[in-house]
Amino acid sequence: MIQMFHVSKTYEGGTPALTDITLKVQKGEFVFITGPSGAGKSTLLKIMCGSEAPTEGQIILDGRNYVRIPPEELPPLRRRIGFVFQDFKLLPRKTVFENIALSLKVMGAPPSEIKKRVTRMLSYVRLQHRANFKPLQLSGGEQQRVAIARALVKDPAIILADEPTGNLDPELSVQIIELFREVNSRGTTVVVATHDKGLLERYARHSIALDAGRLA
Amino acid sequence: MAGTGSANIFYVVSDALSSLRENKGTTVLTSFTLGFSLAIFSLFAFVITNLNAVVKSWGDRTQVIAYVKNDPGPSPEAMKERILRMEGVRSADFTSKEKALNELRLELKGHEGILEGVDSNPLPASFEIRVHDEYIEPARLESVVKGIEAEAWVEEVQYSKEWAEKLASFLRFVKLVAAGTGAFLAAATLFIISNTIRLAVYARKDEIEIMKLVGASDMYVKAPFVIEGVVQGVLGGLLAMGILATGRAAIMGQVPAYLRFALEMPYPVPVFMAVLAASGVVMGVAGSLISMNRFLKV
Ligand SMILES: Nc1ncnc2c1ncn2[C@@H]1O[C@H](COP(=O)(O)OP(=O)(O)O)[C@@H](O)[C@H]1O
Ligand SMILES: [Mg+2]
Repeated sequence: MIQMFHVSKTYEGGTPALTDITLKVQKGEFVFITGPSGAGKSTLLKIMCGSEAPTEGQIILDGRNYVRIPPEELPPLRRRIGFVFQDFKLLPRKTVFENIALSLKVMGAPPSEIKKRVTRMLSYVRLQHRANFKPLQLSGGEQQRVAIARALVKDPAIILADEPTGNLDPELSVQIIELFREVNSRGTTVVVATHDKGLLERYARHSIALDAGRLA
Repeated sequence: MAGTGSANIFYVVSDALSSLRENKGTTVLTSFTLGFSLAIFSLFAFVITNLNAVVKSWGDRTQVIAYVKNDPGPSPEAMKERILRMEGVRSADFTSKEKALNELRLELKGHEGILEGVDSNPLPASFEIRVHDEYIEPARLESVVKGIEAEAWVEEVQYSKEWAEKLASFLRFVKLVAAGTGAFLAAATLFIISNTIRLAVYARKDEIEIMKLVGASDMYVKAPFVIEGVVQGVLGGLLAMGILATGRAAIMGQVPAYLRFALEMPYPVPVFMAVLAASGVVMGVAGSLISMNRFLKV
């Protein structure tokens, strides 16, 4: 599902964030990317979703080589990926409902289906009572769940989640991971970046450890 | 899942409209910037157009008179046709010997006695010739005159060289001032408008980035900016019209009568409004699209 060959990334004028990463995530896998803060987890996920370009190397995602993809083919590919950003990236002037609906709207789902799916997703992440709130009226944990809902609502082929439990209390963290596991059991490939040791111990599975931008 | 195609036009338009609502403030601000800029530019265009018209009407006074020999040979029609075919000639009016005499009689009303004893008509037939505006310039005018003089039936050609020189240099001056001021105003206007739009787009760069990351096509992201650009352009155009009308009404009383011509509306109002709105729309839409381009590369 995801393959990286000798990927390196150096931010403009900075030190290398990733060095020579070669890895493979199989279709239907649930993979953790671990490592201390600054290890390059976010960078790795951003490269996987195409929001950062690698300085070197190739990425094959869903059978497409990302590095050489023409710009107009990027949106359809992204519609198959659910991304949970570490900083949420919610639209501040749209309601919670509209934020989640956006990922269905951009692919042209009919309004009735959008309403049905978003409503169901809101109850999954327990935010039914916040549907008409704006993101800045929510707590960090609530915003995080909106970001997760936006990624899950489109039944993506791949989920890339950057510290999705970072702002959640342990009980809610477990619920969210269970949600990802449920989605995974239906065939979705899930990649979760985390520095949360507790989660890892509990769900010890395939994990990719990063340290200072290298595979550890 | 269902609907894996691209976003349908209904979402694109409805999102664009709600974005317009969310960005009321910026839209109004940009409309005002467009409105004032367009108004200043139009005022300048008025003054220049009016001034140009006045100066051109002076050009009509630049007459060349060709006196015809007593036995010209060709008919007046044939002579007229010759003149009209010359380069730079706009019109030629024939005055026959008889007509010239009649005109003289009218002018001498009460003193007709002077003409008594003159048995044959002493006045020559003539052509009053006007040249195209570009030929008012002395050197070119002279070449036209030379051409007329070369005709065998022409006795003499008269024209005011001095007047032509003065007029030509004044026309040059007006053109220079118009071009200089116009270029300066256009540059200043474009600078102000593009900066206003750039800032408005910059304020929404995160929004653009997020939409793209969620899988929106460029078209989906651009649509609200295009629609806002259109609205801003139309509002700006109407506003410019209002500013001009109000401003003109307010100062017309203070402007000395001999200068009022400069503030007259030289174009048909519907055409002018359409041009204002269209230039507003073009600037609004193009400005937004150009400024947002680099944020689309996510
Ligand atoms: N946009 C950026 N510009 C410059 N340097 C960056 C940027 N994003 C991350 N970095 C640097 O890259 C390294 C890896 O960061 P990151 O991928 O965010 O790590 P992690 O998510 O594991 O904490 C860090 O040293 C960080 O400072
Ligand atoms: Mg990170």
